[in-house]
Amino acid sequence: MSLLSPLPKSRASSIEKSIWAWLRFVVFIGTSVELNAGSTAAQVGFNRDVRPIMSNTCFKCHGPDIKNNKSPLRLDLPNSAFAPYRNAKGTVFTPLVPGKPEQSEVWRRVSSVDPQERMPPAESLHQLTAQDKAMIKRWIEQGAKYEQHWSYMAPTKAPLPDLGVSPSVQHPIDLFIREKLAARKIAPSSEVDRPTLVRRLSLDLRGLPPTVEEVETFMADRSHDAYSRLVDTLLASPHYGERMAIPWLDSVRFADSVGFHGDQLINNFSYRDYVIDAFNRNLPFDQFTVEQLAGDLLPNATVNQRVATGFNRLNMVTREGGAQAKEYLAKYATDRVRTVSTTWLGSTMACAECHDHKYDPTSTRDFYALSAFFADIKQYGVYADYRSSPEPDLRNFSNHSPFPPEIVVDSPYQQRRLAHFRRQFQDRVTATAQSLLQDPVHAISMRLWTDQTAARLRGDTGGWSVATVERALAEPPAISTAAEATVPSKDERAPKEKVKFALLTDGGVRIEGTAVAGRRVGEGPHHGEEFSFELRPPVGPTAALRLEIIPDEVNGGKVARGNNASCYVNFTLALIRAGENLLQPLAIAEAYTALPTENYFNGQTLPSLLEGWLTHRNLSGQRQAGIYLLRHPLTFVEGDRLVIKLASRNVGRVRFAVSPLGGRLEVDAAPEIVAAFTAFRPTPVQQALLAEQYFLGTGAFAADVFTAALADLSKVVDCHGGRAASVVTEAVDPVVTRVLPRGNWQDESGEIVQPAPPQFLPGGGRSAGSPRQSRLDLARWITARQNPLTARVFVNRLWQQFFGTGLSATLDDLGLQGEYPSHPELLDWLAVEFMDRGWDVKALVRLIVTSSTYRQQSRFRPELAEIDPGNRLLARQNFRRLDAEFVRDNALFVAGLLNPDIGGPSVRPYQPEGYYASLNNPLREYVPDTDDRQYRRGIYMHRQRTFLHPMLANFDATSREECTSFRTQSNTPQQALTLLNDPTFVEAARVLAQRVLSECSDSDFAGRLDYASRRLLARPLPDRDRQSLDRFFTGQLDHFRKNREDALRLVSIGLSPKPDHLDLAEFAAWTSVARVLLNRNEAITRN
Amino acid sequence: MRFLINPDFINECQRNWSRRTFLGKSAQAIGSLALGALLNPRLLGGAQGARWTGVLSAPHFLPRAKRVIHLCMAGGPSHVDLFDPKPQLTRLHGQPFPDSFTKGEQLAQLQNTQLIARGSSFGFSRCGRSGQQISDLLPHTQRIADDICIVRSMHTEQINHDPAHAFMNAGSIAKGRPSMGSWLLYGLGAETENLPGYVVLMSGKVDQPVSSRQWSAGFLPSRFQGVQFQSRGAPVHYVGNPEGVCQSVQRQVIDEIAELDRNEAELSLDPEILTRLAQYELAFKMQSSVPDLTDLRRESAETLSSYGVKSPGDGSFASNCLLARRLAERGVRFIQLYHRGWDHHAEIDPKLATLCRETDQPAAALLKDLKQRGMLDDTLIIWGGEFGRTPMGQGTGRDHHINAFSIWMAGGGIQSGLTWGSTDELGYKYVDDGQKMHVHDMHATMLATFGIDHKKLVYRSQGRDFRLTDVHGEVARGILR
Repeated sequence: MSLLSPLPKSRASSIEKSIWAWLRFVVFIGTSVELNAGSTAAQVGFNRDVRPIMSNTCFKCHGPDIKNNKSPLRLDLPNSAFAPYRNAKGTVFTPLVPGKPEQSEVWRRVSSVDPQERMPPAESLHQLTAQDKAMIKRWIEQGAKYEQHWSYMAPTKAPLPDLGVSPSVQHPIDLFIREKLAARKIAPSSEVDRPTLVRRLSLDLRGLPPTVEEVETFMADRSHDAYSRLVDTLLASPHYGERMAIPWLDSVRFADSVGFHGDQLINNFSYRDYVIDAFNRNLPFDQFTVEQLAGDLLPNATVNQRVATGFNRLNMVTREGGAQAKEYLAKYATDRVRTVSTTWLGSTMACAECHDHKYDPTSTRDFYALSAFFADIKQYGVYADYRSSPEPDLRNFSNHSPFPPEIVVDSPYQQRRLAHFRRQFQDRVTATAQSLLQDPVHAISMRLWTDQTAARLRGDTGGWSVATVERALAEPPAISTAAEATVPSKDERAPKEKVKFALLTDGGVRIEGTAVAGRRVGEGPHHGEEFSFELRPPVGPTAALRLEIIPDEVNGGKVARGNNASCYVNFTLALIRAGENLLQPLAIAEAYTALPTENYFNGQTLPSLLEGWLTHRNLSGQRQAGIYLLRHPLTFVEGDRLVIKLASRNVGRVRFAVSPLGGRLEVDAAPEIVAAFTAFRPTPVQQALLAEQYFLGTGAFAADVFTAALADLSKVVDCHGGRAASVVTEAVDPVVTRVLPRGNWQDESGEIVQPAPPQFLPGGGRSAGSPRQSRLDLARWITARQNPLTARVFVNRLWQQFFGTGLSATLDDLGLQGEYPSHPELLDWLAVEFMDRGWDVKALVRLIVTSSTYRQQSRFRPELAEIDPGNRLLARQNFRRLDAEFVRDNALFVAGLLNPDIGGPSVRPYQPEGYYASLNNPLREYVPDTDDRQYRRGIYMHRQRTFLHPMLANFDATSREECTSFRTQSNTPQQALTLLNDPTFVEAARVLAQRVLSECSDSDFAGRLDYASRRLLARPLPDRDRQSLDRFFTGQLDHFRKNREDALRLVSIGLSPKPDHLDLAEFAAWTSVARVLLNRNEAITRN
Repeated sequence: MRFLINPDFINECQRNWSRRTFLGKSAQAIGSLALGALLNPRLLGGAQGARWTGVLSAPHFLPRAKRVIHLCMAGGPSHVDLFDPKPQLTRLHGQPFPDSFTKGEQLAQLQNTQLIARGSSFGFSRCGRSGQQISDLLPHTQRIADDICIVRSMHTEQINHDPAHAFMNAGSIAKGRPSMGSWLLYGLGAETENLPGYVVLMSGKVDQPVSSRQWSAGFLPSRFQGVQFQSRGAPVHYVGNPEGVCQSVQRQVIDEIAELDRNEAELSLDPEILTRLAQYELAFKMQSSVPDLTDLRRESAETLSSYGVKSPGDGSFASNCLLARRLAERGVRFIQLYHRGWDHHAEIDPKLATLCRETDQPAAALLKDLKQRGMLDDTLIIWGGEFGRTPMGQGTGRDHHINAFSIWMAGGGIQSGLTWGSTDELGYKYVDDGQKMHVHDMHATMLATFGIDHKKLVYRSQGRDFRLTDVHGEVARGILR
């Protein structure tokens, strides 16, 4: 069959047939045993050849789980296997007699034809094949030599293979790979073409394709070290950290929500930032390990190291009513053992939760001893204030509360964003002020406003004038707006209690009496009371209102009434003009306070006071001030009244003030502003400042700019002052850890265990002077030189990242049931090299990607289909579908839509409506981002554990409920539907189309296609594709010319702006072309 | 044992099973390593465009059921008010609940409170020829008494909603375990390729949350996970064409993708490409079969009223029951209907009446409809919650209860008109009389109706062979026909 000649119509089926014919063999995996055996056919290796058979078929009853073994005979231990053994009938025999299969009971039983005698028993799921039996026989013949399990022995560097004939091969990886290939007389594949190579490397190191310019630069660079420099450039990219973080976040099960029951949100994105940053600054892996497990225990732990300990808090937790704290603490403990043992040790210790491990020498004691390391973590079984869990720290905690302990830290992303929006706000205000100064029409009113404001500022009030409370009512005001009349009271059952008010000389009011319980106020979760106050506002222009909550002697010097540390307030504002009897609601554009608050929704702090204000319990003795900006500044005249309807829980004493100055983010006016107003002859700078204040205080001159400026301010507020809360580990007195018989948390009969690493692994001392091993000891044990597992596990995982399959394919199990590596000497060599180089991750990555093995073509080799169906010998590279996040990143990047910001809180891209309908406690509505955050990378996508975003789910992203070492790579109709119809991908196609049409306005179809293809695949398309697409485009153009409305609807998909100058039909037809390009297999494949 | 199954069905089963030799054999060849899951394209994507026909190469015993409709009454219906009358409890009403029952037992919200017996406020009737006792709150269910098997001896290990659902679905609360629907798909495949083989529908007012974890494929490849049909927007995510794209443009786009992909396949010889082509074809078919499925307009007025559907497709339990029949007709293997609102910690009497009103008629209508269409024999219906409710009162309600609860099963080789198992005189705990039914036992029994030995449907993950029933489970042979 000629694959390159043009094919007739029927070619499809013939190709399919031939590919399927090869594919048939791909099903037969696990060939590495054979691959290994093949090279040294005569010599049987216990680890390589025999143990996998015995582990699978014998150890279930003759292995380490002595409590549940069917027989006292153990075949995993040579001492037992070589010793004479008396069975139940009294017969004595020897299980294994080295060199003499015929005298070995093992051989007699496995080779027996009698079903009563034969091992394994007939009911066992795993029977021995003829090949297996032959292997066992040969092994006994050769002396039945046992070996310690390969991964439990310290790795050593074998001498590099001497390939003799090809001295040009220098790279250690290539030497090991080629040695095996040469033994089978297989030639490696040639180096892949340069465009594919740069795209491969870019996708592997950044999770993003290269830019057109990057490809061109690399193509033009013919120097011998061009590739090496490309590697360095990509390793230095800040996107490298994002790419490396994703598998790590899978392993540590990082998500935005807690997973159990109400699946509330938890503050932890700073941990993700830490991981990205750690990879970017190439933090050595041992240090990375120590900081996550025990950063809080390091001397003088930095904030960053404390954020890293968020790792210990990533387990699923609950606040379900009726849940038993003790039961959930047991769940959390076992979850941690599973995660730590899988992530760092590639070990299936989880099996030992209920019984000693069936295959590996891990006992239940080991399991609980490992869990005991984490017994000092401050945590709660149930993070809610229920009768069944009377934790003082969780008093009044609801579904809206945080998950303590957490700390507040700087967020570089939020700080950048904060600075950006402040600047944008300031630029807007400055520009407006400048044009204002040029405009004589506004000069008079500005003068008038400035004089009035100056008069107020002279009173040393920081710009604020008290609006005296003249009347206070426990009932809603007699006059109500139409809107209010339609809103019924939330809870009619609430008893109305007498509350008294004291009007104070400072213009404020004190509320006296017990708070009304059980009455829901506002839209939030708060229960309390409602009052209304009538205020006399100072005459003059007004842009902002200030609410002060003031500690009072009557309330024990606190801001809240009764025996409460905090209070909740929210209010609506209305105006009654002098002489009128009508309430005009006054809209508030933004509200904020400089103080920390405890107003949470789903566990995340609300930075704006618009949704209410819950004062911080630690600030109960401190005066609190909140600023409320009016949507439409106004001027009060004599006789005007302000009506404030206050929703509250426990608020004690309040006072209101107003200011003519708007748009500020400080409580009081800054000195330079006061100076400008009070200057006898303002300097030009001061004049500009006054113009700015005039604009902000009145909104005059440019209402749309004023609206935009307020929106900027909202974004500034939304940046939380550049700070973020983050869950951390706080050490407390460790709780007692017992072995739980059969994992039963109610059974307290098990022995008490102290923290200790698994007894069968080397090392594990305790720190000097400390009676109890700590998490720090654990971290140091994990990363100790003599730990045989950690480096192997990490290297193996990294290998999988660059070749699709690990050197041992079972990334999560290097134990007895795991796969013996395809290239054990290479795995060990790399593990030792990794440690020798100080756990330098970038160096290891660099080593791998600079090998010729990595750089080979991935083209399938039919002649190897039978010899090496899984391509474990690596005579070629592997094709790999991009991981879910990168499928999305790639489409956005190619379209030029991707927002490359690094770090920060999770974002919400489009998601099918109603997807969270099954969530409750609290109810959730997914609101997609409508700004630049819509286009951020997939790693930042909001991860709701109970409902993973459908796009991510369809492309095999994990829900992050449980530690996962690798993702399956499925290929399903749901993936096709996603790429075809998810608005994210349709929008990417539409924007790619408009980009092609704008950037190549003078080109013909071929030229435009060429541009699109270079963006997508780093290369132009072959003629055949081009011709086919040309025909397709013509058809689409024709269709959309006839159906212009359809064209308009198609090109209007998505939030990003749509240019008006493009021909609609052409735009839509190109969108179709772009959809085809983004859907083709190659677009989501790293070749 | 009585054999009441159509012989054609048996023949067809055998034909189906014998076609399933491909992976069955290779799985043995994989032997000790069983890395099939990691690299086997067929398991991951239905390579060759052929639909997945399951991993089992032959039935372990005679299969009766072909599909399951699980009516999951989320929140935990009260057994002592619905299927398990307890006169002794009624006599004790308002008095302290005997200590001898509850000492040392795990309770949920009632932990550390004084326990008071709460008798049922509702009457029970002996129904049909079988004389099964069913609450008067369920008049329609009373009329199908002779078609169902009431199991009164159910018990579970998980006392909170979320883990209890997980346990009911996956036989384990460890995350990453496949749900029973996923196991069935993995073992048997589905009889449709134009629809997901495992479909989940949700109804009822907002109540206790239900996580998508409940229909997760866990460590099985993701293609075996349940697909929740949405009540708002497209029933299946992304099943509708983008705005402005008609079916013919969509077809042309897919054809052009195929053209380019074939070109690529010729050069790279990557077999995944052809699999992907097949998936695009399936996706396109799904784009028309899903709307066809959910279009209830062609159902007769009589059918609609028998289910109590007021507004077709309104996301009610009645609509969903009708959809369940349509899914069953189209070859979907596992259909799971969640109806929320059964978590009656307070005001149980009025709330229970409401919930029964919402669910009683549709569930009975579904059974009768299947029976009339000759589909009940090979459709296993399971009705029940994730646990039961305490015979002790919690104010005006009842708390979660794990030691005893009632479910009913019907069709698919289950004996009809039978009450299986019992509880003590206060409905506190199942009686260990050979008819107890742990969740694992229910799973084993369910698999048995499909001809599957629960000990032999396994999947290797992290070096261990896992199964739905973990290391437990006894088939309740007495309820099988």
